[in-house]
Order: sequence, then structure tokens, then C-alpha cells
Amino acid sequence: MKFGTLLQDLARSAVHNPITEKYPFEVRATPARLRGRLNWDAENCIGCGLCVKDCPSQAIELIVIDKKTKQFQLFYHLNRCTFCAQCVYSCRQECLSLSRDEWELAALNQEDFHIQYEREVDEVPCVAATDPAEA
Amino acid sequence: MEKTEHKKGFTIPIGPQHPALKEPGHFRITVDGEIVTDVDVRLGYAHRGIEKAAEARSWVQNLYLFERVCGICSHIHAMAYCLGVERLAGVEAPPRAQAIRVLVAELERIHSHLLWLGVAAHEAGFDTLFMYSWRDRETIMDVLERFSGNRVNYSANILGGVKYDLDDEFVQFMCEGLDYLETRSEYYLEVVTTDAMFLQRTQNIGVMTRSQAELLGTVGPTARASNVHRDIRYEAPYSAYKQFPISIVLDQRGDLEARFVVRIKELFESYRLIRRILEELPEGDLAARMPRKIAEGETVSRVEAPRGELFYFIKSNGSDTPERVRVRTPTICNMMSVVKLAIGHQLADVPMILAGIDPCFSCNDRMFRVHLDQSVYANVGPLKG
Ligand code: SF4
Ligand code: SF4
Repeated sequence: MKFGTLLQDLARSAVHNPITEKYPFEVRATPARLRGRLNWDAENCIGCGLCVKDCPSQAIELIVIDKKTKQFQLFYHLNRCTFCAQCVYSCRQECLSLSRDEWELAALNQEDFHIQYEREVDEVPCVAATDPAEA
Repeated sequence: MEKTEHKKGFTIPIGPQHPALKEPGHFRITVDGEIVTDVDVRLGYAHRGIEKAAEARSWVQNLYLFERVCGICSHIHAMAYCLGVERLAGVEAPPRAQAIRVLVAELERIHSHLLWLGVAAHEAGFDTLFMYSWRDRETIMDVLERFSGNRVNYSANILGGVKYDLDDEFVQFMCEGLDYLETRSEYYLEVVTTDAMFLQRTQNIGVMTRSQAELLGTVGPTARASNVHRDIRYEAPYSAYKQFPISIVLDQRGDLEARFVVRIKELFESYRLIRRILEELPEGDLAARMPRKIAEGETVSRVEAPRGELFYFIKSNGSDTPERVRVRTPTICNMMSVVKLAIGHQLADVPMILAGIDPCFSCNDRMFRVHLDQSVYANVGPLKG
């Protein structure tokens, strides 16, 4: 090794801050394509089940309450997900996405990993609408 | 492989916990003083039953299973699988997707070779080189992370194409990274060929002649360092390597130094190829449509992983799950060379010789039967360095 290179490196390292970051006090910006937690947009879902079929780790369950009124529940098992994004590519309605910002996903309880998605806005009128049909 | 007959000399068991690298493998080394007289190797500690698991999963799900055969070369496994399945289905990925696949494969080769350079230097006790090369490897990890969002399992492939496109900002980021790495690689090439202490650990150690390399069935950079013209990208170009040919990197000497030189020179070839792909990147779609059921048939898909030839045999019975997938990774082909090369060397050289083939134990652990034909190995003769 050349002596000059060594000195250069020494000089540079003497004034340089450590390369490591003080996480969690300092959080580096995530890359734009980071694959974090799965989000489901219930509006467009048609209940085709392709995402469930293609998921390599059985992390998604879809429960069809009523296909006509588009009432579905999606259970997402965060602890099984490998963040491969296959479900995002399989969904033709573009209702699935992997979040860029939600990636600190550790939890102390099992329950925190089982996430239930439902249609939020329409929930009350929809339930009301389906009740007479069921009766 | 275990032999039961009694051996003369003292037997030292090494492993199964991390014999040289941080992976399990068991070596029984018989020594006479400091000199190795026999080596037995026993593998299989990280057998995961992946081939059997594949039979219970759909074609799409298997893509992610095979990506996890190896953490270092995740992309090339998925690529080999995709190429095989696409051939069975009669679908060809669009040219842009093929070019991007090859580009990521070359990025992966760079990261794998830099990782190996560090590990091998560490085995030689040259920890400065280890720290330097791993620091520089972060550049390529950042590039891969920027491309796919993930440092290790990039998941860039889907059946029929790729998921991610290249944009200008990324291309500029990557080119800056490659420029930096190119100057660093020149420096590393100089270090491994001129540093006197390092040369003592590599020069004329583990020498394998061309005929021995061919007989032992070595593949990848290990074979190329013994002047064997064996590189799937060159012999049987697949995917975009037809359009963007590579030139094969060879070395005559066959010792450990040659293996360092070949791998570092391959880095330059990868930089060149990536720049060439960027210049002539075809326009078009990223993925072709794939049927969910794959037509009946069987195929062989061979690609050049960073460690050598990666082999996939895929058989379909017309349903949405494969009937059989067979994977052979390069380490298993190269392992016999360690067993033969170590004989006659100092015990202290064994970790270096093992690291010289760039082994990856957990990806080669697969169940298979060997019909031993002793006459083949008898012809190799004793190897001395
Ligand atoms: S990202 Fe992959 S593992 Fe996670 S839910 Fe989607 S398909 Fe399943
Ligand atoms: S693939 Fe999309 S549309 Fe189909 S069930 Fe899943 S989320 Fe709904």
C-alpha cells in the first residue's frame, strides 16, 4: 500500500464524521421505492382474490361479505409478509401499495401484526344497506 | 462425503460452526505435522427442502422462494427461474426487461465480488482490505437499494419481465457510483498483485492446472483462473447477453492470486457492460403477460451466477404448480477442488483455499445421490503448490 494513500485516508478520516447514523435519533430518508407496510384502498377492490393467490407467504386473507356492494375485509399478516410487492403487481385495480414511510414495524405483541382493513368511509351506510337484504 | 477407513496421521475436525466463512460446513482435515494429507468434507447443515417446497407453490410464488436460495445472488436465481418458466410458456420478456435484468445481474456480480474480496482478505489476515472493500461495497448496495427499494432481495423480476424501470436520476446516481468503484477496483488490483505480505498468502497456493480444473468440474471464476473457458454468458449467451456480449476474463496461473485477479478484472467487465447497456437501452414494455398455467414440458436454464454456472431444471405438468424444480449451485461443483487442492499445503492455508472458491454453503445444501466413480478422481493425481 502506498504511503501517500494511507496518509490521505488518515487525514480524511480525522475530520470526517462517523459514517454510522445515530438511529433512532437520526433517521435517514428512505429510498423512493422502499417496500414497507402494505396498504389497501378498499374503494377499487373488486374481490378478485389475485393478491391472495399470488402472495408467496400467505400474508393476505380476503373475506367477501357482499360482492355486489363491494364489501370486503382484508386481513394482512404483517409478520408473514416478505415485502416482495407481488400483490401490488398482481392487483389489476391498483388498490394495493407498499408504504415508503411505514417501515419501523417491530412490535411486542402478536396482535399488532394482524391488521384488519375495512372500507372506512362507507362503513355505516353500507351496513345499513345490507341489513334489509339479509333479513 | 464420509470415508470410514482409518487414516494415518492426526485428524482435526473443523466446523460445522463457521469453518472459514460464517456458514456451516464440516471439514475433517488429516495432517502430518503442519501438512495436510487428506480432507473430508461434510455438507448439508443448512438443508432447507426448497425443491420439495417448490412443488407445493404456484409458479408465481416460487419466484420468491428461489430468490431466497441465496442471499448474495438473489437476483440471478430468480432470473434463472424466470428464463426457464418463460421458455416453457413460450413467452419472451420484452427487450427492455431483458436488458434491465442483465444490468441488475451485473450490479449483483459487483457486490458479490467486492464482498468476496473482503472475506478472502479477512481470511488472509488482511483486515484493512476487508474494511476498505466492504466500505466501497456500500456504494453498490445503495445503488441496488435505490433501484428496487431493498438491499438484498431486490425482487426485480416478475414472470415475464421486471418490476422496475430505470429513470434518469437513478442512472446518474449509478454512474457516479460506478466511476468511484472503478478507481477503487484499480487500486485493489494493484494491492492484490503487489502487496508482498498478501502475495505470500496467495502466490503459488492452491495451484490448479487447466486439466485438473476441467476434471474436477470447477465452474465460474475458480475455473477461469485456471484458464478454463467456462462462462455461460460467453459460451451460451442468454437474455440480453446476446445483444451485449461480454469478454471472458482468464488467467493462466491457477493459484489463489489468479482467482483474486480474475474476480477483480471481472468487475471492470461488469462496469463496461453496464455502461454499454445504458447507452443502448431498448425502449418498450417492462413485462409480457404470462399464463397462470404453464404448458407441459421440461427445460434447463443455465445462467452465470457470480460464483459460476447456476443450473435450473424445471418440469411442468400443465398445472399451476411445477412438478419438479432442480437447482444446482456453483459451490457444489467447486467443492471437490478444495478437497483436492488442500492436500500438500499447510493447515493454515486451508481457510484461504476454501475462501478462494467463494463458497456459499447454504445454497448448495440439497439432497442428491452421487455414484462415485473413483477412477475419475484417481486421474487427477496429487496437487501440490
Ligand atoms: S408484499 Fe409479498 S409477501 Fe407481502 S403481502 Fe404482498 S405478496 Fe404477500
Ligand atoms: S387483487 Fe386487488 S382487486 Fe383483487 S382482491 Fe386483491 S386487492 Fe382486491
